[in-house]
Amino acid sequence: MAGDKFYFLENKVENKKSRDKDNPDEIILNTKIMLSRNLVSHKFVDTSSGSEKNAILNRVIKSVSDIKEFEDLHYLKIRNLKGIQKDLIFREYMIDEDAANKVQGRGLFIRPALNSGIKAAIIVNYEDHIRIQCTSPGLNIKRTYKEVIGIEKCLEKRLSFAFDDKLGYLTASPFDLGTALRITVVAHLPALTISPEIEDFVKKINNIGCQINSYFPGQPEIIGNLFRISNRITLGKGEKDIIKEMQAICLGIIEDEMDARMQLKKDDFLGIEDNIYRSFGLLKYAKILSYEEALELLSIIRLGLDMNMIDGVYDFDYFEMINKITNSRIMLDMEISGEISDDRLDLLRAEIIRKKILKEVD
Amino acid sequence: MKCDICNNNEATICLIKIQGNDVERVNICRGCARELSLLSGVELYNDSTAALYKLLQMDNAVNNPSGKSKIFKNLDTRKNLKCSCCGIDLKTIKRTGRVGCSNCYSEFKNILFPVIKSIQGSLENKGKIPVNTSKKTRLEKSIRDLKSRLQNEITIENFEEAAKIRDRIRRLEKNIYGR
Repeated sequence: MAGDKFYFLENKVENKKSRDKDNPDEIILNTKIMLSRNLVSHKFVDTSSGSEKNAILNRVIKSVSDIKEFEDLHYLKIRNLKGIQKDLIFREYMIDEDAANKVQGRGLFIRPALNSGIKAAIIVNYEDHIRIQCTSPGLNIKRTYKEVIGIEKCLEKRLSFAFDDKLGYLTASPFDLGTALRITVVAHLPALTISPEIEDFVKKINNIGCQINSYFPGQPEIIGNLFRISNRITLGKGEKDIIKEMQAICLGIIEDEMDARMQLKKDDFLGIEDNIYRSFGLLKYAKILSYEEALELLSIIRLGLDMNMIDGVYDFDYFEMINKITNSRIMLDMEISGEISDDRLDLLRAEIIRKKILKEVD
Repeated sequence: MKCDICNNNEATICLIKIQGNDVERVNICRGCARELSLLSGVELYNDSTAALYKLLQMDNAVNNPSGKSKIFKNLDTRKNLKCSCCGIDLKTIKRTGRVGCSNCYSEFKNILFPVIKSIQGSLENKGKIPVNTSKKTRLEKSIRDLKSRLQNEITIENFEEAAKIRDRIRRLEKNIYGR
């Protein structure tokens, strides 16, 4: 287990994405799986005192450092993470922003994606005593689950988790009882979003027991046509069933988006072509680009690439771009410390995107 | 398409709001959008036809801790009972959407179980169980799993397999209860 000095670990290993035959156009951009656990004979996080939280944190740290498999986990005190450093790590590991508030006794372990492409994080004393979460690019539910459950099994050897025969693993929120397993996928749905089918689609997703939200938590707006879709039910179903269902739902989402794309091409070819090239024009010539606007434009360009309707841009990973063009990331890459104006950031953002995706940069 | 608000200018922005199952769609023009200040934080494209602005609001969002707190909004707190173990009262549970300790689930069983049933649709764990649980619990879990498999086999009329499963259930039951 490495110490506190660790700064920001990025995936040095390029995720060589073999194009998934089920997910050919990267409609499902990312898979995240969370598992919540509480320790027996301790109050849950909301009601426990500061010293109790510290005791729990110390127990978890001790257990993690004793486990050989956890050698490559890095421990971070959330309290010590500041500004862009916190932002970078939270985004990279897809950790709830709320986890940075009320930080007493809260700890974070992270493991960057190694060859597997799966990143892992363990958050201590957030909503529950322990939250294990793993993220992986693309649609990758089974392997990501294997990683999560592997970590849980190692911890289980040293820690006893609160459990009830009927209610399963006991969690602070009744939303998570039972398996305490939550699978969230990030979906890029540009064609569905502008089609009339979106209403039926959202209803359908809700009816089959899933939640659909904006990708950006706490923000009601859909930016860059990005959605988060998760299973709602955790009790009364086994882990295997939840995984199987979610996999089937994801394939359904991909099919719906593909249908919407076909329909769009059929109904309004010129309109969509116009939209793609307008976005291209803006990316090429705009001097300043806000984060939100950049995502909207990149989403349409990505759609253009997927539909083979645009030349002059490189193939790019849309999900990677989401994190690459944030203010924090620009400041890190450009080695900017101290104050910087929003306009300057927007100017740099426009330049970065041009360099990355335009084949001919003037 | 004309703007739904001023009914005058061409609508260039489609607002989609989602609440549970209801999807509401409003078409508005740039002028009205600006007046409604819907576009704070998001810049409009220079070309209005490209502007698409979408709103999505979920009532009880799983991923959103503030959404989770709403699940107990109908909880009966006339008698503001306190948990004997962690001291949390029902009003706090209602406000935060979270209980205080494992004991809360048994102490407030009568109040919480109907809510859990309504969110989860079930009150029976079918997931994995901890390795360090008693042998009896593990056997009971195996029996529950086998019973649901038995049901499936009967549904698809695979009686041969069903009979095998039935026998295994009997053996396990004998193991636990000595019958």
